[in-house]
Amino acid sequence: MRKESGYPIWLRVWHWGNAVLFVTLLITGLNMHYSRLSSAPLGFRTTVFAHNTAGILLTLLYVFFLYGNLRLHNHRYYRLLREDFKPGIVRQVRYYLRGIFVGAPHPYPPAWNRKFNPLQKLSYIAVMYLLFPLLIITGWSLLFPDRLPAMLFGMPGIALWALVHTGIGFFLSLFMVVHVYLGTTGATPGQLFRLMWSGDAQSGALSNEREAAPADE
Amino acid sequence: MKKCLEVGMPMVRAIQIRRPGMTTAAIRALLLAAMLPAPCMSAHAINQGSSCMECHRPNHVVIDPDRYERSVHGALDCTTCHSDGVDRFPHRSHPANAPDCKDCHSGASGSIDFGKIEMEFQASIHATANPTFRCTDCHSPHYFIPASRMTDVSEAIAAVNQSCLHCHAPGGAATAATQQAEFEALVDKHSLFPHPELHLQRVTCVACHAAKGHENLHLIVPKSQAVRDCVICHAKNSMLVTKLYTHLAVKERAEHGWANAIFFNNAYLTGANRNHWLDLGSVLLALLTVIGAAAHGIGRSIFAYFRRKK
Repeated sequence: MRKESGYPIWLRVWHWGNAVLFVTLLITGLNMHYSRLSSAPLGFRTTVFAHNTAGILLTLLYVFFLYGNLRLHNHRYYRLLREDFKPGIVRQVRYYLRGIFVGAPHPYPPAWNRKFNPLQKLSYIAVMYLLFPLLIITGWSLLFPDRLPAMLFGMPGIALWALVHTGIGFFLSLFMVVHVYLGTTGATPGQLFRLMWSGDAQSGALSNEREAAPADE
Repeated sequence: MKKCLEVGMPMVRAIQIRRPGMTTAAIRALLLAAMLPAPCMSAHAINQGSSCMECHRPNHVVIDPDRYERSVHGALDCTTCHSDGVDRFPHRSHPANAPDCKDCHSGASGSIDFGKIEMEFQASIHATANPTFRCTDCHSPHYFIPASRMTDVSEAIAAVNQSCLHCHAPGGAATAATQQAEFEALVDKHSLFPHPELHLQRVTCVACHAAKGHENLHLIVPKSQAVRDCVICHAKNSMLVTKLYTHLAVKERAEHGWANAIFFNNAYLTGANRNHWLDLGSVLLALLTVIGAAAHGIGRSIFAYFRRKK
């Protein structure tokens, strides 16, 4: 019998769809920012079209994520607890800086009511409920540049919007790099990727009995 | 009805003579001159305090005195250009005897090379399609302000484009409705751009309609040869900047290899609004992240290897 993995099909479809679209947006966004004569392989016009299309699809997927989180009970994993802040974050950072090297048990192993460690939970909340909405709002605003205010805080409205959009996109890209790297910190480097692809609890995650209880380092 | 280039007013206009003591003959001569379908009254410069203004008061001429004083020629006396026939009354000057711009504007001056401009102009569609085309058809001698004097990019772009739209916006633009109709016709012609309205309002015509090359402002090419490559402008060394603020572009390119600083003041263009330090900082931060993750991973592998060996 398949165990509850915490990664149902809707979540995995959203995750990989989001991944493909975000990488598309990153590549096309970089091409637009660093555009120079004849350098864009697709051409500037096609790049902009691809970026806009991927952005619109990403928005639809984000709405799908919100719906899934609220209606399909995934939001319970995002609920912040007092212990997430103290001692949660310090313990998790200490694990990444020392414990992970010496083979110490994971301080917050996945359990039936816990999918994310405190650091992961906080960063996912910041990413999914703060940065993604800002990225989407600024992105949609830039689709209608004629509606943006001419000047805002002493800057042209479009420039400020674009600066915020590019900045958030940049930091989310860094997040993606760290996210992919931390994906290799499962029981084996590929375990968490297999879990996210198949959703099979046998791959690890919530059924992981290797590290049964929070360990104080 | 043909319009005056300067202010779009009908050529034939009555001049009200109010100056006491003027002779009846002089009044008759002036009225006669005013009623003839002569070239517009652009010859009536308005330098305050000059002898011309004894008769040619601001209310009686078709030159806007404020705009003239702000223009690049604002400090010049009327007779610097309008010297022909002013020593007699009524004046017998003839437009054909007006001085050639090249009499003063020749050689190289700062970032402007008038010799190159002349060569570009002679090769342009303006000169080849219309041998009578003159500098003043685009550069109003009374109102022209160089972009170098405007720090606001939008203002500079609007001023530059106004020269083109004088001829290339069909009709007279007499009312807001006709102006809107003209603008919409231009939007239709430029529908290959995304947001054509914005492109028309915020891009200089010459950025695309002058030949490729950063300072080729006067080599206007036929429509079929207009630039259609987006990255001509949407690039760090944007043609929109270098064709508008040539004086800055020359200096900035010499210092940095590219020019776009003016855009950070009051404009935005994807691909052009780039800052050396932000670009460098973001690349360094991205590299640090990748190197940090890689180092952490390698460290984990090494520690795991030694744990297994124990």
